Amino acid sequence: MRRVSLPGACRATRVRSLRHLFPGLALWFLTPSFAMAHHVLGRPAYSLNEDSNTPPSMQVETQIGDYFVTYMVFPAFPRPGAPGRINLYATRLDDGRPFHGEVTFKVRDDSWFGGREEILGVQSPDDNVYRQGFVFTDAGDYVITAEFESEGEPYVIDFPLRIGDPAPIGPIGLAVGTIVAVLLGVNLAQRRRLLTAKIRKARDEARP
Amino acid sequence: MNDPGLAALLSGPTCLALGTGNATMTHRGLPVSWGMVTLAFVLAAALWALARTPAKGIESQGVSLGRLPLIGPGIRRLTATPWVLISLRMFLVALFLLVITAGLFGTPIPERNLATMLTWNLWWAGLVFSVLLLGTAWCAVCPWDALAHWLVRRRLWRRAEPNNSLNLRVPRPLRSVWPALWLFIGLTWLELGVGITTSPYATALVALLMVVLATVSLALFERKAFCRYFCPVGRTVGFYSQLSLVELRPIEAEICAHCRTLDCYYGNAQIEPCPTWLVMGRLTQNSYCISCGNCTQSCPHDNIAWRFRSPAAEAVVGARPRWDEAWFMLILLALTIFHGLTMMPFWEPAMRALARVIGDSGRLLWSFSAGLAACIACTSLLYWGAARWAHRWTGSTMPFRRFFATFAFTALPLAFAYHLAHNLNHLARESSGLGAVLRDPLGVHAQPLSLAEKHLHHLDTWIPLDVLWALQTGLMALGFVIALQIIRHRGRSALGEAGQPAWRLAPLILFACAVTAFNLWLLMQPMVMRF
Repeated sequence: MRRVSLPGACRATRVRSLRHLFPGLALWFLTPSFAMAHHVLGRPAYSLNEDSNTPPSMQVETQIGDYFVTYMVFPAFPRPGAPGRINLYATRLDDGRPFHGEVTFKVRDDSWFGGREEILGVQSPDDNVYRQGFVFTDAGDYVITAEFESEGEPYVIDFPLRIGDPAPIGPIGLAVGTIVAVLLGVNLAQRRRLLTAKIRKARDEARP
Repeated sequence: MNDPGLAALLSGPTCLALGTGNATMTHRGLPVSWGMVTLAFVLAAALWALARTPAKGIESQGVSLGRLPLIGPGIRRLTATPWVLISLRMFLVALFLLVITAGLFGTPIPERNLATMLTWNLWWAGLVFSVLLLGTAWCAVCPWDALAHWLVRRRLWRRAEPNNSLNLRVPRPLRSVWPALWLFIGLTWLELGVGITTSPYATALVALLMVVLATVSLALFERKAFCRYFCPVGRTVGFYSQLSLVELRPIEAEICAHCRTLDCYYGNAQIEPCPTWLVMGRLTQNSYCISCGNCTQSCPHDNIAWRFRSPAAEAVVGARPRWDEAWFMLILLALTIFHGLTMMPFWEPAMRALARVIGDSGRLLWSFSAGLAACIACTSLLYWGAARWAHRWTGSTMPFRRFFATFAFTALPLAFAYHLAHNLNHLARESSGLGAVLRDPLGVHAQPLSLAEKHLHHLDTWIPLDVLWALQTGLMALGFVIALQIIRHRGRSALGEAGQPAWRLAPLILFACAVTAFNLWLLMQPMVMRF
């Protein structure tokens, strides 16, 4: 089984409507006019097409086994209760032929205690693009899994999806907690040292 | 290409490079003519060096800023008062906290967030220039250390007694630059492999991690072990500052020679001791000085001041060779080359091809790590081969390990010159747009830059391209000349006082030529922009 987990999301391209996605993608692949950013596989990139008034989207490109996979999330920063969509496009690395089988999209909560996986849907290609809609009621970090099988070999691609604003208290809490714990520990150790020194001094002075 | 506007843009200094399945924005490299002229100069200088027997050691003559007429007393007063440094530290700590806030709470769009723009496009790219002009001055105002100091010592600047630290000795295996070197390789891996440069959140996490490391180290170990042994940025700044134009040194060597109190080393009732265990009277290299100003403030004779000097003086003569430091300098050279390589348009297709061979997926981190390891291994092997060959040819009685360390200083100017030339490109072409980010540091409701805006940003260089290219070639030539000086003057001891012909040092000169030529070639390639 081929599996890939991406810790970040990638690049964004905006199209006028989803019906125009494939021509948009094709144009993007064929001409430089859709090139948006310093592109590195697996890294998030956001961009805006100035010809359109829709919100920006986010795009991730990756390579797995024999396939080059592109997926987009519309909008780039989905909110709870608002509909969004994932578009996935896979082509063979050797000859660029698009994948034509079915792709299963699953989702699971990416928090420490939320591991239950649900199937979002099983999609067939539409103009070589797999489209999966979603609506999340709660904000949080989720992992979307796209699964497909090619030549008897299963392919699994995980990528994170953030719904709503991030909760940055974790890193700050961890940093402040570590610092406070170390400083308290050092303070206690120092007090003990000073106390030991005092006792030793008093003992030395009491000695005849 | 049907769009004439786009066609016009593409013919300019910024262009789009089409790869397999994607397109990236690149900047035009150094023109071939500039590269060829520099290469011709390098070859001519190398031939000259081969033909001429090395002269006797050069004298390091500096001009003490404290002794200059008119401005001298002012400079001495400024360095003797702690308030200038404290003000700068407070300002930078405020900016640093803003960077963390922007990274954690701001937009994830890198070009719209202060965390990524300020950290990677301005600070990381510009730091190396501050080393050239101001030595290790950055360390004096470093917000990681300032925060750690305030948290542990609980004093703004005066000496704290007790100093709230366990004052443990750093374990012997860690008392070298190896920890800093491994952390530096790790930082490079995060920067170029994982891509924290394009993630404000990850940038903030790394910033927080550095503060935690600095604070824990200060709370556990005596003096500032983090600055001396662990800090990857501090050690890089330290080694590069061997080639800086300034140094903090005694004004009168005689006064230090007769000093009995050594306040610079031990401190006094008000001022902390030297955080990196240095005695100013015996200081010969900048590597471990963090310009904190403790010595200038504690010296009872007012005898410590900044001075101007030749950038070659220290690496050519003053610095002493050590095994761990030699490796630090060599790997520093490898990592600067690697930085350049990863920004070439051919890098990603190469990684993708490698990934297919080794079965790598996703972010291709295994392929990236293999590339990083290969670059370090190739550079080290090239130097090792040159040093081994030169050791045999010269018939030096010096043990090979010492010979290896002595000539490893050659790597320093080669790395520094390329680093400066490469970063000049980043600074000149990527720092525009900082004003907008400063006005909205968190990028609230900000949209990604459109293609046209990106092009305009990249076209908006603050120095003319001809000047940029002239500076780049000048830096490369200067780096090579200093490397030649190091080989020739350090080679005197290897060749013996009887004076063997200089061509016996040819392997080391060839190493410097090969590295300079390769770095020139990298500069001549189009460079993929950060974001």
